[in-house]
Amino acid sequence: MGEMTRGQYADAGTSLDFKTGNWRSTQRPVHVHAKAPCHTACPAGEDQQAWFALLQEQKVEEAWKSLVSANPMPGVTGRVCPHPCETACNRVHVDGALAIHNVERWLGDEAVRLGWDYPVAAPAKDAKTVAIVGAGPAGISAAYHCVRLGLKAEIFEALSEAGGLLRSAIPPTRLPRGPLDAELGRILDLPGITLNLRQRLGRDVTVESLKAQYAAVLLAPGCEKAKPWSVQGAVPADLHEGLELLRDFMDHGALPDAAKGDVIVHGGGNTAMDICRIMKRAGAKSVTLITASGLPGPDTAPDDLINVVPRELEEALEEGIEVIDHATVSRLIMKGSKVTGVEIIALKKEPGKDGRKRRVEFEGTERVVSVDMVVPCVGEQVDPEGYEGLLDGAYFWPDNAGGRVAERVYALGDARGSRGTVAAAIGDGRLAAEAAAAELRGEDDPSADDRSTIGIDALNTAYYAGASRTLVAKLPVSERTFEAEIEGSISRTEALAEAQRCLSCGNCLACDNCWTMCPDNAVIKTAELAMDGSHYVFDYDYCKGCGLCTHECPTGYIQSVPETN
Amino acid sequence: MAPRSDNSKRLNELRMKHGRPPAGPNEPKAAKAEPTLREQQPRFRGLESGHRACQGCGEALAARLVMESAGPDVMVANATGCLEVFSTPWPQTAWRVPWIHSLFENASAVASGMEAAMKAKGKNTKVLSFGGDGATYDIGFQSLSGMLERHHNVLYVTYDNEAYMNTGIQRSSSTPHAASTTTSPVGAERMGKRHLKKDLLSIVAAHHIPYAASASVAYPADLQRKVRYAMGVEGPTFLVIHSPCPLGWRHDSALTVEIARRAVECGLFPLVELERGALTNIMPIRDPRPVAEYLKLQGRFAHLFKKNDYRAAEELDHLQALADHNIAIYGLRGEGTDPVDTTGVAQVRRGGPLAGRN
Ligand SMILES: Cc1cc2nc3c(=O)[nH]c(=O)nc-3n(C[C@H](O)[C@H](O)[C@H](O)COP(=O)(O)OP(=O)(O)OC[C@H]3O[C@@H](n4cnc5c(N)ncnc54)[C@H](O)[C@@H]3O)c2cc1C
Ligand SMILES: Cc1ncc(C[n+]2csc(CCOP(=O)(O)OP(=O)(O)O)c2C)c(N)n1
Ligand code: SF4
Ligand code: SF4
Ligand code: SF4
Ligand SMILES: [Mg+2]
Repeated sequence: MGEMTRGQYADAGTSLDFKTGNWRSTQRPVHVHAKAPCHTACPAGEDQQAWFALLQEQKVEEAWKSLVSANPMPGVTGRVCPHPCETACNRVHVDGALAIHNVERWLGDEAVRLGWDYPVAAPAKDAKTVAIVGAGPAGISAAYHCVRLGLKAEIFEALSEAGGLLRSAIPPTRLPRGPLDAELGRILDLPGITLNLRQRLGRDVTVESLKAQYAAVLLAPGCEKAKPWSVQGAVPADLHEGLELLRDFMDHGALPDAAKGDVIVHGGGNTAMDICRIMKRAGAKSVTLITASGLPGPDTAPDDLINVVPRELEEALEEGIEVIDHATVSRLIMKGSKVTGVEIIALKKEPGKDGRKRRVEFEGTERVVSVDMVVPCVGEQVDPEGYEGLLDGAYFWPDNAGGRVAERVYALGDARGSRGTVAAAIGDGRLAAEAAAAELRGEDDPSADDRSTIGIDALNTAYYAGASRTLVAKLPVSERTFEAEIEGSISRTEALAEAQRCLSCGNCLACDNCWTMCPDNAVIKTAELAMDGSHYVFDYDYCKGCGLCTHECPTGYIQSVPETN
Repeated sequence: MAPRSDNSKRLNELRMKHGRPPAGPNEPKAAKAEPTLREQQPRFRGLESGHRACQGCGEALAARLVMESAGPDVMVANATGCLEVFSTPWPQTAWRVPWIHSLFENASAVASGMEAAMKAKGKNTKVLSFGGDGATYDIGFQSLSGMLERHHNVLYVTYDNEAYMNTGIQRSSSTPHAASTTTSPVGAERMGKRHLKKDLLSIVAAHHIPYAASASVAYPADLQRKVRYAMGVEGPTFLVIHSPCPLGWRHDSALTVEIARRAVECGLFPLVELERGALTNIMPIRDPRPVAEYLKLQGRFAHLFKKNDYRAAEELDHLQALADHNIAIYGLRGEGTDPVDTTGVAQVRRGGPLAGRN
């Protein structure tokens, strides 16, 4: 007997000595925090996935704080936003989109009710000050974000109250003044924000004077001037433009006498929708909207769709507003200089010879109806006074995300031709403040978030089902007034239950699936957060690259990428 | 005999190689290193990484899940088969519990002896016996039956990958009807296996044992609940776990759990529990799906989707009828939705699975 053979002492080693990681040939799993589609779609830049995640942990105040890091007015947007986030929500493909706007509104109202502090600190005494023109949602959001970034903000508002169209145009049935005043008041009271009322750019101050006195100038004047309207050169003597009517009505609750009869509203957009409903409620015999666009439906091309909040259109139809779509007013029939009738003709956007779409009126479809009043609502443009050299036609058209139109001068909100919602105005406020702060520090423009958006195909829906959307009560048509809010609120229980429905698209929800299902023990769960924000790390020493965890990750947070070894 | 020092030199070499520095009774112990991330995990790692199972192996996953909820105070008797081979390539082992392999056909006999020895020593250590479907449905069947009849306190787990995989995919009595294997190939005569899958669970339950159940890697929480339940039973218990095999079933390694899930959702692999021979629980299927959705992901059933072969449609219908039969006899349709039906039990929430949390 010589040496002992290995078999004589079976002192086994651990298989951990054998690194199966080198079996990976084609792919390896990695954690990828992609954008949730709600976040991508939100013009205000909210990350709904992030604040729903906090709500799922019952952290309500933290959820609000996360939300207001982008949008300081959830109580407002929760009421007025057309919520493209819900249209984009991946849960549409499971059992209905999240009721994002209802929860958003609830968070905003809770913050007011409980007096939660905005997550901002008072700017330093010697902090630079940014001048902001206009106290609409764009200007107020910009002021808030300046303070968040350590700057002071001084707002110049032409009117005697802040709020812009939120106050002067959007009806209280959608946005009651109580919650509006409370939320705006809390923002404007933040340390570092000064509001100067009855100060009009072009009359009391100029871009140059502001530029000389302040570190940067943010222009958020909205669109105040009605676009010119006539039909083949004819303009009725008693013409009332839609927004002007609406503002007068908000101010002193009266409409012209002719509004008691048959009314035609010409245009398409929120102003048209709101004035239709107000005139109907005020007792007009009939109200008909003539719009060149199409109504929502499977056959309507996106570029042809009427540009209103879908819920508002639905409610208008419920209330008896008639809509003639794909049509325009082709002739005014006047008795003297008063309108007594209109000729309506069918039209549609059709591609022309060069492929570009243009409106084509269809000869032979003319019809004449008698009316007492015609209200044009064809849109507004920036009142050019004071902006010489900065406007490009009717609007500002900056070529960068932050809205810079000249050195240290930015345009934001409706005044940018491509905007048109409160959420977009709020988003612009943040983008402009961030860009201005960077410029003042001598840095390049903040870089855009170029992460990809996660679609339903990247999720594993086997792990979610059976929770239908919270339904919210609405005031029946018969009980609707000029004041009472139409859409109801949701309770804490409902809000928290709704949050549980969020699929956590593109971000780990710590479900343990990968940890539980890796046949190779190659997913390690950590007590603390791993570097990438999840609780899990891949042990590439042993991961064989089977792809199982990628497939079973409900949220799409795990993706298989080509192996580079 | 060579001087002792030679052996101890060799032993020390091996110990160093496998990360165990020699520590005699008089030598000071090596300082304990900070536990690694792996060691800090809040679960028992009975079957460790570094094993040689194929990518996406359902059997490795199932065994890992079983060990997690059964360990650490257990010993294993393992029949020959993939699990035994991939977990113990000399001189290493992936097991972190006492583990014995003897033969293909005798795991239950070995387990019976281990249990008797534990009893004699007055220990409570539970004995587990593991085998593949070949080892259980076929070649180890009589020793299993004997162990159940003698009422040993053993949990027997069979990892059902529906063929003799370790020797190259030969059909077993567990191979489903119409599956193609190397010994039940598709050809002019036959569309894969001619015979039916053996209903082993009923046969085992007929031994009047306290607990026999089926589980699937697609429902880990349910699987682990069943293991924990069996661990608490004094006497023989039995678990059959549906464990897809990417190599033998010819499917993408990423789809192991997806395929297992569809097997349950279509009714071909019913998840049931039997106590003393009587059906006591089932996992209801919320939305039964057609068997074709399960079969079409697997190469072993590819012939069932051949166009222009009347036999393909016929066999597809046959398998659908078998699934419908399971749904009918076990009442898998359930009534309305149930929080622990196939859909309910899979639901995830932030911070872990909803059902079966312990
Ligand atoms: C009737 C109506 C209904 C609408 N409904 C909705 C809706 O439901 N949902 C939605 O998302 N959007 C809606 N909108 C659009 C939305 O109101 C606007 O997109 C949003 O208010 C734009 O915000 P802003 O801050 O850019 O401009 P504005 O809200 O117009 O605010 C501009 C502010 O600047 C002030 N200002 C103007 N010029 C000067 C100057 N020279 N000097 C100083 N101050 C000046 C104005 O007084 C005003 O306070 C609606 C619009 C209308 C007209
Ligand atoms: C008595 C005997 N016959 C045949 C073999 C060869 N053999 C080793 S493993 C195996 C197949 C095992 O099949 P199964 O039990 O289903 O386990 P799997 O490998 O599929 O997990 C065979 C046939 C053997 N080891 N002993
Ligand atoms: S499920 Fe949640 S994260 Fe996904 S799109 Fe909807 S709200 Fe956003
Ligand atoms: S399941 Fe495990 S082995 Fe497979 S790719 Fe994921 S980490 Fe790697
Ligand atoms: S499987 Fe679950 S725990 Fe793992 S990364 Fe995906 S969401 Fe996170
Ligand atoms: Mg087998």
